Amino acid sequence: MIYRRILKEGNIISVLIHIFLKLVERPTIMNSDSTFRYTDQEIIEQLRHSGKDKRRSEEQLFNRFAYFIREGITKHGLSEDESFNAYSDTLLAAFENIKNTHFEARASLKTYLYQIFHNKCVDLIRKKTTNKNSVHQAEAISDKMMLLTDSARSVVQKLIDKTNWEQLRAKLAQLEEKCRQLLMYWGESYSDKEIAALLQYKTADVVKTSRLRCLERLRKLYKPD
Amino acid sequence: MDNLDYIENYFTKTPTADEAGEFEKRIGSDPEFAEEVAYYLSVLQISREESRNQQKDNFKALYRDNRMTAHIPVSKLVYSLAAAAVVVGLIFGVYIFVKPVPIQQLAGQYIQEHLQTQGVTMSAKSDSLQNGLRLYNEGKSAEALRTFEQIIQSDTSDFTAKKYAGLAALRMKDFDKAISWFESLETYNNLYANPAQFYLALTYMNRNQSGDAEKAKQLLQKIVAQDLEGKETAQEWLKKLD
Repeated sequence: MIYRRILKEGNIISVLIHIFLKLVERPTIMNSDSTFRYTDQEIIEQLRHSGKDKRRSEEQLFNRFAYFIREGITKHGLSEDESFNAYSDTLLAAFENIKNTHFEARASLKTYLYQIFHNKCVDLIRKKTTNKNSVHQAEAISDKMMLLTDSARSVVQKLIDKTNWEQLRAKLAQLEEKCRQLLMYWGESYSDKEIAALLQYKTADVVKTSRLRCLERLRKLYKPD
Repeated sequence: MDNLDYIENYFTKTPTADEAGEFEKRIGSDPEFAEEVAYYLSVLQISREESRNQQKDNFKALYRDNRMTAHIPVSKLVYSLAAAAVVVGLIFGVYIFVKPVPIQQLAGQYIQEHLQTQGVTMSAKSDSLQNGLRLYNEGKSAEALRTFEQIIQSDTSDFTAKKYAGLAALRMKDFDKAISWFESLETYNNLYANPAQFYLALTYMNRNQSGDAEKAKQLLQKIVAQDLEGKETAQEWLKKLD
């Protein structure tokens, strides 16, 4: 039908191009660097699991839609850094939603990512901020805070507001690599079982004990007695 | 450490109503405990931010590496390449279609397609002529030429024998002789159809010596202008020769 319509319009070149594109269109195709380019479904599956494939999928997804950054610059008038941050935040949000199965794959990954990216750009324009973490700030603990009643939450929130973030960040950087990595995976909501596999701990219980020790060590660095 | 374990259990496992009540009561009554809860959540927050910053740094490195190619999506790139291939193909096709065809190639093609065999013609010397045509059709051009010339010797006005003599000579690439026979046909003005001009043009084209192309072109133009035998082919060739 599409060919008949295009032919009716007398555009034979469009028909040829369309046929050519159909011929080259495959569910899994080779990337320019001769590695396999995953399909949407493959990427979703890999993002829901930890390991090397997950990291590869994240990088491939980043590369695949990196041209959004240019669109952020041309369509939304953002600087390259702003557009890059919006795009990075888009991917990080998408990774989390895919991992938590909030993404139901009703639309293609491209459509889904572009929608998030567009919203991030609009957010950035509205806020006109240069703080690259602002888009995600407090997201990690917001759901945990909701487990507290209003009065308890208010007390804890006031104490959190007093946190010296720069100092805490600096002390975190002083921890040994494995400890720091463990806390970062924890911050990314990896399960103890996943962390055990990634950092080669014997069991999930060992991960938990190690994490509590790391938290203790960090506290001593942050607030020495 | 014990408190941290307690705090973590509260946030990671679903507490009962009693456990939740106890936990929140401690937050309200025990400032050190409340600080520990705040600390736990702050570290969770900063760990997540650090992890994200690390991922962003990875993305930044990727972006830097792929900066040159990241601007164009693969599908757009493929589309552009496809369009370019089609355009190049069209240009090449048009070039092939309109480019001047070598004059000798045109003549050779015509001889190959139209002058390899001749229908038998009835005439007063039908036996000899048919014998000459049989030889001609068998590809024995020299023998056919001799036969036609013998007929002409016995009847110097035989138009058909002269025509075939010219064609046999042309096929033998004896161009001077072919021209001579075809020029002799020009004097026959009272014929309904005289291909002399056309065959002369064809011979010049096939010989393609210095000045032949120009002579052939002039003859072809004359054929078209005077509506002579071979006009359609002459028109076609003139287009290709331009």
